[in-house]
Amino acid sequence: MFRLLKTESFKLSNKLKSWLGPLLIMVLVLIAFPLSIDISQYDLEKFYFSIIVVSLLMTSFVATEGMFEEDFEDGSLEQEFLIEKDFYKLVLSKILVYVCLIGIPIAFIGALFSFANGVAIGSFAKVFLLLILSNLLLFNLFAFGNALSINKGAMLGVLSSLPLALPVIILLGRAIRSIQFGDGFSSIIALMFGLGLILSAMMPLIISAALKTHID
Amino acid sequence: MLGWTWGLLFAPQDAVQGNSYRIIFLHVPSVIFAELVYFFMAVCALMHLVWRVKLAAYLIKSAAPIGAMITFIGLFSGSIWGIPTWGTWWQWDARITSTLILFIMYLGILTLHGSFSNLEKADRLMSILVIIGVVNIPIIKKSVDWWSTLHQPASISVSGSTSIDPSMLYPLFISVIGLGFTLISLGILSSRSYILSREKNKKWALKHV
Amino acid sequence: MTLVSAQNITYSINENKLFHNLSFGVNAGEGLHIKGGNGSGKSTLLRIILGITTPTKGLIKRCSEDLKISYLGHKNAIKNYLTPIENLELLFNDVEIKIAYEWLYKFNLSHVQDELAASLSFGQQKKLALIRVLAQSPELIVLDEPFVGLDQTAADQLNHFLEEQLSEGVGLIFTSHINPKISCKVLDLEAKNV
Repeated sequence: MFRLLKTESFKLSNKLKSWLGPLLIMVLVLIAFPLSIDISQYDLEKFYFSIIVVSLLMTSFVATEGMFEEDFEDGSLEQEFLIEKDFYKLVLSKILVYVCLIGIPIAFIGALFSFANGVAIGSFAKVFLLLILSNLLLFNLFAFGNALSINKGAMLGVLSSLPLALPVIILLGRAIRSIQFGDGFSSIIALMFGLGLILSAMMPLIISAALKTHID
Repeated sequence: MLGWTWGLLFAPQDAVQGNSYRIIFLHVPSVIFAELVYFFMAVCALMHLVWRVKLAAYLIKSAAPIGAMITFIGLFSGSIWGIPTWGTWWQWDARITSTLILFIMYLGILTLHGSFSNLEKADRLMSILVIIGVVNIPIIKKSVDWWSTLHQPASISVSGSTSIDPSMLYPLFISVIGLGFTLISLGILSSRSYILSREKNKKWALKHV
Repeated sequence: MTLVSAQNITYSINENKLFHNLSFGVNAGEGLHIKGGNGSGKSTLLRIILGITTPTKGLIKRCSEDLKISYLGHKNAIKNYLTPIENLELLFNDVEIKIAYEWLYKFNLSHVQDELAASLSFGQQKKLALIRVLAQSPELIVLDEPFVGLDQTAADQLNHFLEEQLSEGVGLIFTSHINPKISCKVLDLEAKNV
């Protein structure tokens, strides 16, 4: 497990476009949005959150795109199968590494921008935590979509994993409203945390089965 | 068919909604089956993954287009109905959204199966997706329920008391059953041709071509 | 000692039979050359032996659950954006990596060890992949067309190294459409005999 964590983080950190790309997209969207509307007409802080949610969805989709494709194409998956006999540990460490190297920075950027756009400083930690948890959920779900489609492109990934991601988005929207109006935040966070644990334990199992089918 | 004729021509007008409500006889049965077809596919998917029943995968593959079609009819008739009653053809309301997602899931299943040349692989991956999807359906329902909803609450409940007049209920009931039989026969036809095309190298299949 | 044996292996893809009722075994220190034309199922058979592909019928038996197998298929599992050294470091710990370095020297790759793998030639990448196989000190080596892409010198070298491994009691299974100089059993998929 430790070997895999080391390997995966080394691989990801050496693929500059895979981890820096999503972060830049996140920054770009968050900057471009206020510029593209007439700020004076609207009360930006009210719906700036929903922009963060949508860009979170987009960037985590971009970030996980091709998560397994490279290893599948160059034969690393087969090699891994010979060592471990299944892919549970590989998938688990891949998702963890992606969340740590891409998810957490994205969450930080999101929280930073929400703060810069008029959200009270006390909410910074809440938003940050919330975005990390949603990233954990989304990365698990998109990893599943990627494992199904592997090298068949983004459309298939969208069709197969977007329906799974929508409940997360709704939950996220709910949580954000609760930050704004200040009630029920902790119960939503607890729910998301629980979901995150369950997904992180279950998804590698399912993804492992899908990957096994692919190399068969 | 009988249900539709009865419903469309003879049932009395709704006090509030007038004649436009008649689309209910198409709308309600199709959304009911939109989900039933999916559950049928999920059962097949389980059979395919656990017991490696090849036939189960063939059934999923032939049921999916029918499911997609009926879901589309449900959505389409719903939005036609929506224009006179709600004044809009689309609302981001709980049940419409979840039906739309169901439709996307059907498309996903079809696309997934279509993109692999090794059909046995495609069968297995499709089954995995179907099963994950069936877990997802109640989650989506629960989560979209959180939104304030425009849809009328279910008028017919199993527990007995119904808020719908019998003169509308019976044709509705019959149209549900009628659509059910239509879909089953469609399903049998399409799975027959699909099974034959998959097993075309077997001796028994040649006899039926 | 029989490292791995196949019993009545049948495999069909999309209902087309690729091969039927194959049985064979490989002992320690023994080589097996799987022969056959394009599309005869050589690679598939290797993958069945490895347990990656499930046969339609039949059984693969290994002498023990954790028999150490190393494999090189058509895909060489080399990361283009890393150097040869980094590629090896992904897999080996501090002790094993020393052996891998020696192999880099033996295969004459030391001078490119710090360049990106993407800039290596096809033959050099193949050598790097072979190093990964050999440096794992496996009990069974499985190679899919190992001689393709190697020049004459490298092919002779590989022949020599494989014979060395055989004499040390390592099992070897490989496919090749040319006849190598290694003395070993031959399984011809088209003639269906060992």
